[in-house]
Amino acid sequence: MIEHLLTLLVVIPFLGLLPLAAFLRNPGAVKQVAVVTTFVELVVSLVMLSRFRVGEAGFQLRESAAWLPSLGIRYELAVDGLSVLLVVLTTLLTFISVLYSTKVIKERIGEYMAAFLVLEVGMVGVFMALDLFLFYVFFELMLVPMYLIIGIWGGPRRVYATLKFVLFTLAGSLLMLVGIVAVYLASGDAGSRTLSLPELVAARGRFSAEFQFWVFLAFALAFAIKMPMFPFHTWLPDAHVEAPTAGSIILAGILLKAGGYGFLRFGLPLFPYGTQAWLPVLIVLSIVAILYGAIVSTVQKDLKKLVAYSSVAHMGFVTLGTFVLNTQGAVGAVLQMVSHGVVTGALFLFVGIQYEKTHRRLIADLGGLANRWPLFTTFFGVFVLASLGLPGLNGFVGEFLVLVGTFRFNPPTGLGGLTWGPLAAIGVILAAIYLLWMFQRVMMGTLRDAYRSLPDLSPLEVVCAAPLLVLTVVMGVFPQPFIAIVEPSLQRIVALATDTTLAVIK
Amino acid sequence: MSDLVSVLPEIVVTLTALLVLVADTLVDRRRSAHVLAVLTVAGLVIALFSGPFAIAPGTHFSGFVLVDTFTTFFRAVFILLAVFATLVAPGYLDRKGVAPGEYYATICFSTVGAMTIALSTDLITLFVGIELMTIPIYVLAGMQRSDRYSNEAALKYFLLGAFSSALLLYGFVWLYGFSGATELSKIAKALASGGLTSGPAIIALTLVTVGLGFKAAVVPFHQWTPDAYDGAPTPATAFMSVAPKAAAFAAILRVLVTGLGPLGLDWTIVLAILAAVTMTGGNVVALAQSNVKRMLAYSSIAHTGYILAAVAAYRAGDSAGAAVLFYVLAYGLMNLGAFACLLYLDVEGTRGATLDELNGFAKREPGGALAFAIFLISLTGIPPTIGFVAKVLVIQPVLDAGLVWLAVVIALNAVVAAFYYLRVVVRLYMYDAEAGTPTLVPARLLSFTLGLSALAVVVIGVLPDGIYAWALQAAAPLTLR
Repeated sequence: MIEHLLTLLVVIPFLGLLPLAAFLRNPGAVKQVAVVTTFVELVVSLVMLSRFRVGEAGFQLRESAAWLPSLGIRYELAVDGLSVLLVVLTTLLTFISVLYSTKVIKERIGEYMAAFLVLEVGMVGVFMALDLFLFYVFFELMLVPMYLIIGIWGGPRRVYATLKFVLFTLAGSLLMLVGIVAVYLASGDAGSRTLSLPELVAARGRFSAEFQFWVFLAFALAFAIKMPMFPFHTWLPDAHVEAPTAGSIILAGILLKAGGYGFLRFGLPLFPYGTQAWLPVLIVLSIVAILYGAIVSTVQKDLKKLVAYSSVAHMGFVTLGTFVLNTQGAVGAVLQMVSHGVVTGALFLFVGIQYEKTHRRLIADLGGLANRWPLFTTFFGVFVLASLGLPGLNGFVGEFLVLVGTFRFNPPTGLGGLTWGPLAAIGVILAAIYLLWMFQRVMMGTLRDAYRSLPDLSPLEVVCAAPLLVLTVVMGVFPQPFIAIVEPSLQRIVALATDTTLAVIK
Repeated sequence: MSDLVSVLPEIVVTLTALLVLVADTLVDRRRSAHVLAVLTVAGLVIALFSGPFAIAPGTHFSGFVLVDTFTTFFRAVFILLAVFATLVAPGYLDRKGVAPGEYYATICFSTVGAMTIALSTDLITLFVGIELMTIPIYVLAGMQRSDRYSNEAALKYFLLGAFSSALLLYGFVWLYGFSGATELSKIAKALASGGLTSGPAIIALTLVTVGLGFKAAVVPFHQWTPDAYDGAPTPATAFMSVAPKAAAFAAILRVLVTGLGPLGLDWTIVLAILAAVTMTGGNVVALAQSNVKRMLAYSSIAHTGYILAAVAAYRAGDSAGAAVLFYVLAYGLMNLGAFACLLYLDVEGTRGATLDELNGFAKREPGGALAFAIFLISLTGIPPTIGFVAKVLVIQPVLDAGLVWLAVVIALNAVVAAFYYLRVVVRLYMYDAEAGTPTLVPARLLSFTLGLSALAVVVIGVLPDGIYAWALQAAAPLTLR
């Protein structure tokens, strides 16, 4: 059993579906099954983390078996420094989402929990799959449950939002599918073709520069839409505003990471020439996302939309750190993904808790909540400060490393880090403006009479938020253990992407 | 004797049809729909298992019949589709007062025709097979005699079907005149020495392509499809949307790939353009439909386009033929399933299913809704379903043959298709039933059959290797020469 930890992570949520189906019409039992399943999954992922050997760059806990032998496609799972933290983040956020949902979801809870379990399979699978075909299957497996979660349990405009979400994502991923098949055909002669990442990296000399240009574009479109990068972000605010709280947590916390992860896992190592060719465009788009996301956040009236747009800005840091192509930037990008998952997940959780109590989400309708809710204010305040990148909290670590990497970015032609660095830094300042201003308008000032009798955080809500708070502080104060996990693998990926000795066929 | 053994499954299916017709007069009217269905399925299953005994190498009936891996694959597919079309029908037939014996026997006769196409090596056997398959389908379309839409469907289908058969036959005549033979292998040799430079070859090829294009519903020869599918009784629609199309592709592979193979290089671009136009046309028109039956009719045209894309890519070798076979099987399972899901709704006073009638389906019939959603997701091409694997398998030879633009067209079309397929899922799960929504028909046999095929859609979607290996084997005879 212990040798197949990663398969276990894929299988546990599926196994949870069986008792869930048996008790489908019994809400109490359904909640217990879902909470227990996601908790076991979390524990197993922690066991997996404890067996992860820090300091090694390569893939660990690897499992490999023939899946489609006629095509040479394999069932191949592994983790490395890039993915291991994201897997644990996934299981943690899913557990918290399910736990919180037991209180707020009243309707069709059986189907709701089933969707979450299937979603969890897709999410952990995406971060562990080494075979591109398997990766694609998991990538798409995340789509349908989220489509249902937004579409069934979402807000008034849920159908529009969920269709938009699915169509945007599918448009990108289907082009990536064509790219994957193209990679498969180019990976060898008939009979020896493969989609396994290590073998593809070894065979990447067969990908001509022109081939890389187009196939990287196909992959980049899928990941850019998923992230989402400017100008493909328009589905995000709609999806977030309409999604139920737990859906927003998972969407912002995990699903967006699949894009940034895809760039680092597949885009950079497989297509160094494609990366070089598209690098200027992607860096400019990252800077635009950082500034645009921040400016648009400033003027939002809806609390949830504000957090959603702030995600666009934060994900801009991830792509910026990725495409400056140095270790600091890449490590910063990964840490930024992890801390954004924790912090923005928490922010959506608190916006949801707040909404459950007041039934208002417009900033103008709120105010003075700090007078009545000391506990809520403390938690929320810490997460807001972490989100704006205050040193000592986790948001700072990723953004700082990305900025260091950006300043060190020095391409032979075109604008370098001294142009992009200051622009990105402006984004950090803007983040402080919109987040603090929001906090001030929501929490300070005079309290409305209608909100006087509303209770502070319930024990369940504290239990949901506490692990995130601990992580926020620990990652901010002691970032070194996390950097140590991430760094070797990212060094390797950056080395693969910047290998000047790589010769490709014409 | 070995001649007869080689067509054992065909004989069994024919006997089943005759037996059903006889039994129809003996069985109690009130229970006949179910009893005869069991009888039909039993006969079909025997036919399926007689397949392995019918393997006899070489040609039979003086070169008119060839039983190879290709034949075996299609036999299994056709019998499987006939079984599903039988199992979903009884409740509907009772409700609408359609004579069950006639329905099952007609399905069997049409299946024999389709199977004949798969074993033909000769233009004559091929044409007999095509007619034997199509004529029962005209009858099926018009079986609901008192319903004027059913009559319209049958008449339209018959007129255009006869027209296309004539075109096809005329094309065959040109091939005969050109080569002096009716065997496909001899025609191929004659064509190989002559090349595409000669006028008669081009005329023959054009006529055959158009004729088979009609049968498979390739744009611009598709106009009969929506009305015929919409008007026909729903179980018949489910069958006629899959079996004739599968058979048409069996014929296309036999004639265009085996017979005209030597000219393939010049014909690829024609097929590729037809494929692109077909999938785009089908999808764009499907977007505008508010009746789900019509929407599925147009979407089935789009699927023809995807399959045709794999045909166009047959320069890539076995993988192209295997992609066609796999897609045909996948399409058969999921499309038949999707049409059959409408049977829950088909009650007195409604016609087919408008999107509004589907509102809140998931609350009223959770199992049926889940199966419907699985079929729709599979038709969209989202993993882990058979439809996804089928799409990947089509894209592979298309790229391999250098038709990158066609692969991109397929991907973009899948997004368009996602819009209208998922819109149905929205109605199933995200709307509540309104006051006027008709009640659903409880149908245990239907739910069981749909559950089974939905399970197959997912299981083959996760573990497709066995079927794909079989399809590769079945496609091998096409590209040997």
